[in-house]
Parts: sequence; C-alpha cells; structure tokens
Amino acid sequence: MPEFLLEVGTEELPALDAPVLARALGDKLAQVLKEERLGFSGMEIHWTPRRLAVLVRGLAERQADLVEEVRGPAVAVGLDPQGNPTQAALGFLRKYGASPQDLKRKVVGEKEYLFLEVRTPGKPAREVLVGIIPDLLRSLPCRKTMRWDSSGVAFLRPIRWLVCLLDGEVLSVRYGNLTADRVTRGHRFFGPRELVLNSPAEYVEKLREARVIADPGERERMIQDAAKGVEGEHGVRALWTEELLGILVGSLEWPSPVLGKFPSEFLDLPAPVIAAVLHEEGKFVPFARNGEPAPVFLGFRDGKEDEKGYVRKGYERVVKARLRDARFFFENDLKRPLAERVLDLREIVYEARLGSVWDKVQRIREICKHLVDSLGLDGEQGTLLDRAAFLCKADLTTEMVREFPELQGVMGGIYARHFGEPEEVAVAIEEHLLPRTRADELPESTLGTVLSLADKLDTVMGAILIGEVPTGSRDPYGIRRAANALISLILRKGLVVDLFSTIDAALELYPQIPEGRDAGAVKGFLVERLRHIIRDDFGIPHDIAEAVLAVPRGDFLGALERARALASLGRDAALAELAQIFERLRNITKGHELTSFDPELFQQEEERELWREYLKAEGRVRQALANRDFAGALEALLPLGGPLHRYFEKVFVMVEDERIRENRLSFLRALLSLFLEIGDLSVLSV
Amino acid sequence: MHEYWRDQGCVIFEPYDVEKGAGTFNPATFFGCLGPDPWRVAYIEPSRRPTDGRYGENPIRLRLHHQYQVILKPPPPDIQDLYLGSLEYVGIELRDHDVKFSEDDWESPTLGAWGVGWQVWLDEMEITQFTYFQQMGGMDLDPVSVELTYGLERIAIFLQGVESAFELNWSADVKYGEIWHEKERQFSIYNFERADVERIRKMFELAEAEAKACLEAGLVFPAYDHTLHCSHLFNVLDARGAISVAERESYIARIRELARGCAKGYLKLLEERRARVLA
Repeated sequence: MPEFLLEVGTEELPALDAPVLARALGDKLAQVLKEERLGFSGMEIHWTPRRLAVLVRGLAERQADLVEEVRGPAVAVGLDPQGNPTQAALGFLRKYGASPQDLKRKVVGEKEYLFLEVRTPGKPAREVLVGIIPDLLRSLPCRKTMRWDSSGVAFLRPIRWLVCLLDGEVLSVRYGNLTADRVTRGHRFFGPRELVLNSPAEYVEKLREARVIADPGERERMIQDAAKGVEGEHGVRALWTEELLGILVGSLEWPSPVLGKFPSEFLDLPAPVIAAVLHEEGKFVPFARNGEPAPVFLGFRDGKEDEKGYVRKGYERVVKARLRDARFFFENDLKRPLAERVLDLREIVYEARLGSVWDKVQRIREICKHLVDSLGLDGEQGTLLDRAAFLCKADLTTEMVREFPELQGVMGGIYARHFGEPEEVAVAIEEHLLPRTRADELPESTLGTVLSLADKLDTVMGAILIGEVPTGSRDPYGIRRAANALISLILRKGLVVDLFSTIDAALELYPQIPEGRDAGAVKGFLVERLRHIIRDDFGIPHDIAEAVLAVPRGDFLGALERARALASLGRDAALAELAQIFERLRNITKGHELTSFDPELFQQEEERELWREYLKAEGRVRQALANRDFAGALEALLPLGGPLHRYFEKVFVMVEDERIRENRLSFLRALLSLFLEIGDLSVLSV
Repeated sequence: MHEYWRDQGCVIFEPYDVEKGAGTFNPATFFGCLGPDPWRVAYIEPSRRPTDGRYGENPIRLRLHHQYQVILKPPPPDIQDLYLGSLEYVGIELRDHDVKFSEDDWESPTLGAWGVGWQVWLDEMEITQFTYFQQMGGMDLDPVSVELTYGLERIAIFLQGVESAFELNWSADVKYGEIWHEKERQFSIYNFERADVERIRKMFELAEAEAKACLEAGLVFPAYDHTLHCSHLFNVLDARGAISVAERESYIARIRELARGCAKGYLKLLEERRARVLA
C-alpha cells in the first residue's frame, strides 16, 4: 500500500502555535481523505519550528467507487402504458449510459419515479491528492496571518518549501509561488541545506542524519532527560512550568543541553525573582536545592553540543547581567516601605472611567468588608484582610514588578514581609492574583482567597458597568478570563457566598456608570460564564446546566451542587416522566403570581393527595436546602411525581369558577417554586 | 554592514536628522515601504527612547542607542539566510554560537504600522528585530517589505566581549562611555524629572498644527518631519509620566492620523508623477 508524505517547510513558527497547526494539518487531511473515499491505515504527525509534516501509511491506491441513486422522470411520464420507456426515460438513460433493464422504480413522497444506480469509478489517489492539498493548506487555522510575497497566499509565517511524495513520486502540487518537490531542508546550521527524499518512509531518519528530530515527543524526552541528568548530578530539582517546556520543545530542532552557573552572591535574591529572570522569554530551566534556588541553570542550544563553551559563556553573561539588574531593582525597591507606596497608586490610571489604582484599592477594601460578613470571618481576620487589601497593589510602583510583571503580588508579599507586616497579610498579598486562569493554582490561605475574590469581582464589575462587555474574541480588559478565574475560585474552593448580594452592595462604589447599566448586566455575564465552566470544567451535561441556571442565584457553588445532584439521578423513565409533568406545571402556571391558596377549597381527592405530599416534601426540601443537601432536596421532590401525574389526569384546573381556578393555580405555582429550588426540570433531555 | 548590504543592492543611506524613536521612522523606511516600486536601503539610525533611560546605570538599556536598519522590498525568499550571512560577515561564527528566531510581532501604533516576525537571539541576547511589514501609515503593503533592525551596541558588546555598552571601545582610545555616559545621565534627569510638561504639550500642539498645514498644502515630506517631532514629544511626555491612560490613546491616535495623512499624500504623489519618487 502506498505511503504519502506532506511537509510544509516554514520560517520559524511561534513555539506554541506549531503543535496546534500540526494537529490541525493531520486532522484536516484525515477528514478530507475520508470525504474523498481514500482509506488509510495510519497517520503520523511530525513538526519542528521549521516544518509541519504528516505521513500517511497504507493509503488506498484509488478512491472507492462512488455508487449513487439518481432520480429520473416519474414512472407516469417515463413509461408508456405498456411499460416501455418514453423519450423522457430514454434521454435519462442516455445521459448515464445505461440501458432500460437498469431502471428501478421507487416511491418518493406520493409518486413513483424511475431510478438508476450510477457508479462513478474512483480516481487514483495521486490525482485526488493534487487537487486537495492547496485547499488543505489554505484551511489551516492561523491565529494571525501574514503575507510575504505577492502570490496572495497567507499563513502564520512564510512557507518556503513543500514536500509532497506519494511513495517515490513527487505530486505536482502548486501553492502560491511554490511547487512541491522531494527536497526538504536539514538543520539551519548543522545539516545540509537541501536534503533529497526518495520516499516518505525515510523522512524521520534522513532528518535525524541532518540534525533534526522531527518527532516532538522525542525532543521533549531529550529536554527532560537533560534536566534529570542535572538533577542527579547536582542534587537539585528542576523548576518546570508547562509553558517553559512547551516553548523549548517548540523552538528547537535538536535540543542540546548547555549547563550554566551563576555566581552564588545572587542567591540572596528571592527565589521567585531568580526563577523569573531564568524563565524570561522561555529560555532557561531554573533549579532548586532543598527548596532554595541553586546557582545553576539549563539552557538549550539548537543543533549540537557546545564544544567550545562559547554558548555557555554567552548564556552566563546574559543571566548575570539580568540578575544584576534584578538586584538593582530589588535594592531600590527596599528603599521605600510598601505602605508608603500605596499613595503613589493615585498616579496610576486604572481605567479612565474607573479612576486610579488607588480607587480600585478602595473598592476592593469595601467589597472585602462585605465578604467578611457574609463568609463569617472574625474581627481580627477582618482587620488583617483590610490591611492586605490596602497594600495589595502597592508593588505596582516597584521597579521589580515594572520589569517582571508576572511577579506582581509575589513581590508585594515579599516586600510586605520585609517591612514587618503580619505574615497573614504578606501571604494574602502574595496569593491575591491566584488563580490567574480557571486552571491555575488556588490561594491556600483564607485571606488570600477572599482578597482574590474581591479583586476579581471589582475587575469584572467595573468593566461591565462601563460597558466593556467582551464580544466574540474581543476582550481587551481580559474580563472573561477574570470572570472565569473568579468563578473557578468559588467552585474549586467550595465557597458558600451569595455573589449577587455582594454585587448589589458594591454597586454604589461605581458612581461613574452610564445611565441604564445596572447590576443585572454583571450578574447575567457571570451566570453565563458559570454555565460554561460547570459544563467544560466540571463535566455537567448541557441540559442539566440549563435546568439549574433557569433560576439564577448568587450562590454559584449551589448551582454546581444542584447540578451534581441532578446528574447523579440517572436518566430513567421516572425522571423523564417528571420532566414532562414539570413542563405541564410550568405551562399551566405561566404568568401566575405566587399567592396564597386555601386547602379548604380543594374539591377532589387527587388535589388533597397532592397537597399532603406537598406538605411532606416541602418540609424535607427546606430542611435539606438549609443543610445544602441538594441531593436530599431532590430526593424529597421525587415522590411528588405520582400524585402530580394523577392530579393532571383527574383535575381540570381551568374551571369556570374563578375562586376555585385561582386557588388551584396558586397551589400549583407554590409547587412549581418548590421544584425550582433545584431547577427547571422541563429542559432535561431524558 | 555597509559593505555587506551594499553588495545586496541597498542604497546606503544616512541617519535622518530629525529625532526619532527607531530607524523605522526614518523616511527611507516609512515612505520606502509604501508604493509598488522595489526598494533596498540600509543605514545607521541613532534612536531616542526617553522611557528606556536608566541614568547611564544599566549596561545595555539606553535612552539613545544605535540601530542598523535594512529594508528589502520585496523580501527575497532566502532573506533569513541573507540576514545570517550579515552576522557572519561582521565576524560572528554562527556554528560556534546559538542563534534563535523567537516569535515577536512588531507594532507601532503611532505610525499605523505592524508586522510579523521575530526577535533574533544570539546566545540568548536579543540582537535583531526581524519583521515582515504588513501595514505602514495605515496602508496595506503590496509588496510587503522586510525590516531588519540590528542593535549595534548589543552586537558590539558581543564582538568585543565586554559586559556593558559603556565599556565598548569606540576607537582605539575612546570608550563609548566617555562619549555617551553623561548624556544618558542628563537626558534621563531631563526626561523623567525636568521636562516642562506645559511647554512640551504646547510644542506638540504647534508641531501637530504645522504638520496638518503642510498636509493641506500637499507637502508630505515637511509634514512628516513635524509628525516625527510630535512622536518624540509624546515620548518625552510619556517618560515624564504626564500622560494618563485615557490621554495616551488620543495622543497616539493624533500622531497616527498625521502619519496616515503623510502615507496617503505620498501615494497620491506617486500616482500623479508616474515616475519614481523614492522615500
């Protein structure tokens, strides 16, 4: 069976984009091959910063034949009374080169038609591939596109060569100004500029001889093995981040470790500062020994080991210069206490309509005060939290944070500790930006958690109240991310807090908001994010998310817990019946206000039965809700299904007598509200 | 560098005698990238960036540094190899070092310009910004141009094996620091602490008015000079901390409007003349 190789040779792709594009290339090719009826037995994806490649194994020689039923004239038109083909049918047969005995009859709708089975023979794989490759390349999803010549072709970076081989044969594919060939390129400095491939099968090994590791997994192993080697030899532990590893894998064709050292005089710098210097631009792997920074780092040269040691010297010079900068910033920053810097925040504009960072800090303090009450923190914690809130943004005025923005918060904590603030305050400041994204690590301390919540809530509220609601991919203020982090914090930390009442209380902190904007927009936006998060991060099925969010509540954790209770029910006939009954309940009470009702006016036994069950259930539901036992509440509701069913079978609600009718509706409305304590069951797809 | 790029057919240009933040602002780049005619140019450009001043106390961060700027329109397909060749030409043995092209998309909101490309790292020190311009003065470019901006101090530091720009030998017996250190210190004091905000704002308004008047008269090159003044004065105000976030946007938009006017005027001129009017 033939093998097929497509390689797209590029100038250096951004490190984190290359894998995304390579996967897309593979997925799309697989999809197109399927559409084109070209079977294959296996596919390998390879990529480096300079190439995206897909190797297809066991490709069919040609497309499977296409068999289609083609409709001709109606039988009444196509056949004469004797059953012989008319001119119309003969024309139809001529068109497809068929004879009368090939005709079939089939009823479509009300009429019977003549049909032919038309077989289109499959084309050779070669022919099909030549046609589909340009469209395939055009369809690759680029985050941003550029042009590099006047061919009209656009991509993330310039495409400089194409390899398109079906076994030993070059397919004559043209794309932009390029014509596909069998010539790839070796490593930029340590391989041949041109490398002739005789067949797809030799791709990986020929590149290896040319100092290119085409398999990203193998490069990742080489990088991690090098770090492990250092760990073993020096008794240290590598401080990896996913991003650092991704950038290294994505920016090297042949990772060659270069171990560097820096003078131990820099070890008195805070560990996060040293890590930030080394992580900068995704360059070096830092190490720790017994939790303290170690004066070694690992860099990777592309292509070949550093025989002469020049690269190591260069790396060490860069690291030393940056550490010296960092020391300079650190010492300057320590010249002024953190608390004194808070006033400088008046000079930093947060947002024209939302004032300075100082104003933001005042709002965070107010929101914290509200949260202290609703979370039941004690007075001492409240005082410490206020101090942490007061100081939390002061590090924005430090040189270190201006140079290394990712150290915001962390430096605040370090400086707070240095200037004798209580440890709880320092930790809260350190943690108050966590989680930065919905998957990021969480604050450990209570005060850090509350401060983070207040900060994020202010960010989201402020932006939405001034009308900066993110749309599509446009989110200049990063509001979606802040909201996701905020909700993720509540859900993952298990915080029982009524966000809506906090939002209502905080509304007066934003005097500049334009007419017509209110808390509703903020709540709506947050609920919308909550919907996404419980679905995507917590695996709640779509319909259950809809059900529990039908009545939006400020208790976001409660929404997740309600959803989990519903999800644990299992989708059986009983639930399906309940969902149906609930829908009737909802429809019949539509527009009816929740008012009192009088059980004395019930006339039928089914009403009284439902009333008794309702009383039992209500007590149990309220009790369970008070204990946040949503599964228990749901369980208490389930027995209402039978009586409700019988009620709807026997009781005619909309009677002439207004008093009876209104009373029945009021009762059903109360029943509805009780169900809505869990959610709108009618949207469940069971 | 001059020899190397002259052999690639570049006009060897001179620094333009109006203050600017980067070699990109030189008319040889701004106007040279516009229009359909091929254009190759190379020159040194002293580049002033008030906010980068460090009172002469940082070894590589400078208020004024020297760029070597190359524009190739259209970019030849082997442009990366050509670029690497220039490094070898000035004495960097690439196979003994580590060269990486690291994603960095360039943008100048004031010029209404953006492009796609890399920072080039030599043993993890940034030495070049490598950009395929896609827009200039708000105009889509066809053909596109490639811009190479070398940091000359960085490359010299590398070649001379010193740790600070101020230690560089400018000649056999004159150090870089002897010429530049006091200037760095004084301009840092001026830009960060002393520049008179009100007067600078007025100067900005005057330069802006003059640029607009020139544009109305169809005098794009004088208009562009005044646009450059505006851009630099804005940078001084910014370093002085005199511009709020909200104002910032509007200042940038005002300069971009002038740059766009210059670009439009220049393209109109090209159309009318039907003859080359280069850069």
